[in-house]
Amino acid sequence: MQDVTLTVNGKTETRRVEGRTLLVQFLREHLGLTGTHVGCDTSQCGACTVILGGRAVKSCTILASAAAARGEVLTIEGLGDEEALSPMQEAFHRHHALQCGFCTPGMVMAAHNMVQRHEGELTEAIVRRELEGNLCRCTGYHNIVKAVLAAAEAHRAVASAPAGQD
Amino acid sequence: MTRAKTSAVRKASDSAPDIAWRWDDAPPDMDYVREALFRHIGKPVARKEDKRLLTGKGRFTDDFNLPGQTYAAMVRSPHPHARILGIDASAALAAPGVLAVLTGVDVLADGLGPIPHNPLPKTNFDMKLSAPGGGAPFIGPHLLLPADKVRHVGEAVAVVVAESAAQAMDAAELVDVDYEELDFVIDALDAASGSCPSVVWDEVPDNVFVETHFGDREATDAAFARAAHVVEASFHIDRVTGVPMEPRAALAAFDAESGKYTLYAGSGGAVRQKNELAEVLGIEPKSLRVLSFDVGGNFGTRNRTYVEFGLTLWASRRVGRPVKYTATRSEAFLTDYQGRDLHTTVALAMDAEGRFLAMRADNLSNVGARCVSLSPLSKGSGLITGSYDIPAATLRSRAVFTNTMCTQAYRSSGRPEVTYAIERLVEIAAKQIGMDPIELRRRNMIAPDRMPYRNAVGQVYDSGTYETNMDQAMALFDWDGFAARREEATARGMLLGRGLANYVESSIGSPRERAEITVLPDGRIEVVIGTQPSGQGHETSFAQVVADMLGVPVETVTIIIGDTDVVSVGGGSHSGRSMRHAGTVMAMASSELLAEARRRAAEHFDVALDRIERDGDQYRVAGTNHTVGLFELAALPSGPLAVARTNEMHTPVFPNGTAICEVEIDPELCHVEITRYATIDDVGRCINPMIVHGQTHGGIAQGVGQAMWELCVTDPDSGQPLAGSFMDYGMPRADNLPSFDAEIAEVISPTNPLGIKAGGEGGTTPALATVTLAVLDALAPLGVTDIKMPLTPNTIWRAIGEARQQEKGVME
Repeated sequence: MQDVTLTVNGKTETRRVEGRTLLVQFLREHLGLTGTHVGCDTSQCGACTVILGGRAVKSCTILASAAAARGEVLTIEGLGDEEALSPMQEAFHRHHALQCGFCTPGMVMAAHNMVQRHEGELTEAIVRRELEGNLCRCTGYHNIVKAVLAAAEAHRAVASAPAGQD
Repeated sequence: MTRAKTSAVRKASDSAPDIAWRWDDAPPDMDYVREALFRHIGKPVARKEDKRLLTGKGRFTDDFNLPGQTYAAMVRSPHPHARILGIDASAALAAPGVLAVLTGVDVLADGLGPIPHNPLPKTNFDMKLSAPGGGAPFIGPHLLLPADKVRHVGEAVAVVVAESAAQAMDAAELVDVDYEELDFVIDALDAASGSCPSVVWDEVPDNVFVETHFGDREATDAAFARAAHVVEASFHIDRVTGVPMEPRAALAAFDAESGKYTLYAGSGGAVRQKNELAEVLGIEPKSLRVLSFDVGGNFGTRNRTYVEFGLTLWASRRVGRPVKYTATRSEAFLTDYQGRDLHTTVALAMDAEGRFLAMRADNLSNVGARCVSLSPLSKGSGLITGSYDIPAATLRSRAVFTNTMCTQAYRSSGRPEVTYAIERLVEIAAKQIGMDPIELRRRNMIAPDRMPYRNAVGQVYDSGTYETNMDQAMALFDWDGFAARREEATARGMLLGRGLANYVESSIGSPRERAEITVLPDGRIEVVIGTQPSGQGHETSFAQVVADMLGVPVETVTIIIGDTDVVSVGGGSHSGRSMRHAGTVMAMASSELLAEARRRAAEHFDVALDRIERDGDQYRVAGTNHTVGLFELAALPSGPLAVARTNEMHTPVFPNGTAICEVEIDPELCHVEITRYATIDDVGRCINPMIVHGQTHGGIAQGVGQAMWELCVTDPDSGQPLAGSFMDYGMPRADNLPSFDAEIAEVISPTNPLGIKAGGEGGTTPALATVTLAVLDALAPLGVTDIKMPLTPNTIWRAIGEARQQEKGVME
């Protein structure tokens, strides 16, 4: 057992856990952040995607104890809440980019990070390629791609707005 | 023992039955409902369920935890078929944290019953399947753990309960099972060969437990005898699995004081789970509460009861603490109920002008080690003739046991299989008689004035404009622009192909549904309903329906599902039944509620009933300014304003449409890219087009997935399933699908008050055929005439190679 300290959604948390505890287990079982999901055991499905140190990662691929050195963790619970959805969450809602909602947190985190990394400069081909590691069984990806492109466009509009006007 | 092989023959009578829903049967306030309709219905209202799911507040099964909970792990069979000689659990019991190891012997000792699967579809209109020689088929008892033998790889033989999930899994490895390996059989044709060395159940020595003949044999034989052309083909629509993204999970607790069990388990319908699991445990259904809130995908996979649900309940009583089980993805690939696996041989007789005269079909369904559901075989049996007017047909429908995981309805149960068969057969026929395949289809499609149309095996199609669907889909696809696109692709060294398929499918499903509607004085309306969404947006679309009927905003309506202490009756969600059944019973309940509201308003103002006029949610005395609102009526001392209504509706509906796929194949790399996909789906009345489109997109992806990548491969030599993870099972991904051109056609069904058919499964039904036909069209210049799914680069490469070999052979 060892103490692991992580900053998750802006809050610093310490828990005593087994050394083999994965980041996703730390989030779900020790912090009660059940928005991050587990859909496979081979790091293929992407349902557990969170943002660690500014990059989207599959939280089943890293030990909780190793995560601390990589920076702060942002999960779906830290992105926006029901009263104030983040732009990506809002785009998913508006474009019906979720059905059962199980892959959604991972999908939203991956998409949010993608828009940030590309500063909103996305095409359908880039979105499809970069979401290859996030599986969805309900939507056929059609509306997910639409939502991400819409959020990217909104991101560009905000970025290019003249200073002082928002 | 010999068994008679004569099987029941069912003939369709000629007269089309009366399938119309009658407003006359409804209470007078049904008129209000009819007039009020369609303020919200038909609009793309954004979903009420989204916000919690988008912010991590969803309530999926594994998100729940109970104080003092323990964890279960399964010991699973490594053999496809073996006798269990003994189980030594001593090492596992001595391992750290282990609380119990339970086996099939304990199941028998505790008197637990088999899961009462009830595999025969049970509406009046379902195709009735029976045992060879007639009577109820033997289905193979499904005990929570077997005591005699294992019948497929992955079958649970023992459950280990421990303090932590890791301890349970570690200890499961220590359980020593002594097996005597037996002959096994994987493929249905081998199992039904009559000389199969593997007998899955001693009660059925030849493994074939269902054999039923349908249609008119004399008429069919006569038509084949006078036919100018006959074509025949055999296909195997292989086995796939549903892969809901949330692995199945269960959390069970037993309260010794009250004797009551609680089970958190996402499924396709909590009421069925409650009733079946209560029967397994030998308890009253009221002693078991099942909770199923957010469900991470279903597609048929979750409709039936799983042994792990019963095992956690039983174990929670045995260890006196809650027990949690969450399947790994590998366990899901091994032991989720799987789909398809139909062998079919079809033959078509035509006259000299290409008019279809008759059809013969022979369908063999592989149900796996036990019969969980006959829905795929039954559904497919009713639709062998597809969208075409084929006056006579015969069909032999058989089902067989094998040493594989059980199959169950999977998205569009049974229909993609028969659609694949008829559409491929039509293309073969067109080639043989030298006619354009679109023209051949036109010549034989069922005309709108033939509706309701009784097909040659007795199913009555309710409504539809089939040829119009095809024309619209071809326009949407830009069918006429194909030649130019192909020329452009050819210039780049690529092969372009297109494939079209028409489909008609049936939406039947469990016939009973119940709605309870309560108007609360605080301005809310609660609707309790027995369906179980897993992404279909019932909380939104059902609210749209009730809001329209009661004349209130959508936001005021809350749909309550998934807790059997609240929901007493309900058929769950399958077979595209939910919107139609729930819509109908909600309409009936609403009309009763409106009548009661009017009565109360009259009483309130002390006037005659006929003086009350309704405008939205306001009730006014005619010619006065005396008004009272619906929510005010609920606050009156006369008690709660609530109604409950149960409805039973058997008449099926037949969604239909056309889908067209275009593919580009690189002849060097043998990579297939889908470049275009267009569909027209007649879903009947569309309540929320945004949701229906979403269902169609997902349906297309699942059909395309089977055509292109998905396959539950089993090694024929060892009987081992080889697709055990996302690394070996090809899934549709964002980067291997196109965006879709999907449009909805609304031909209102006469069978129910809202005119609903069903949506979503229509995306899947034609997709296997469209993709395969597109690939065959692309490869035709290379001499390829037949190909088997999945259409992976390896399949393409082999097909091209074989065609070249044959060409060489011919030249030599």
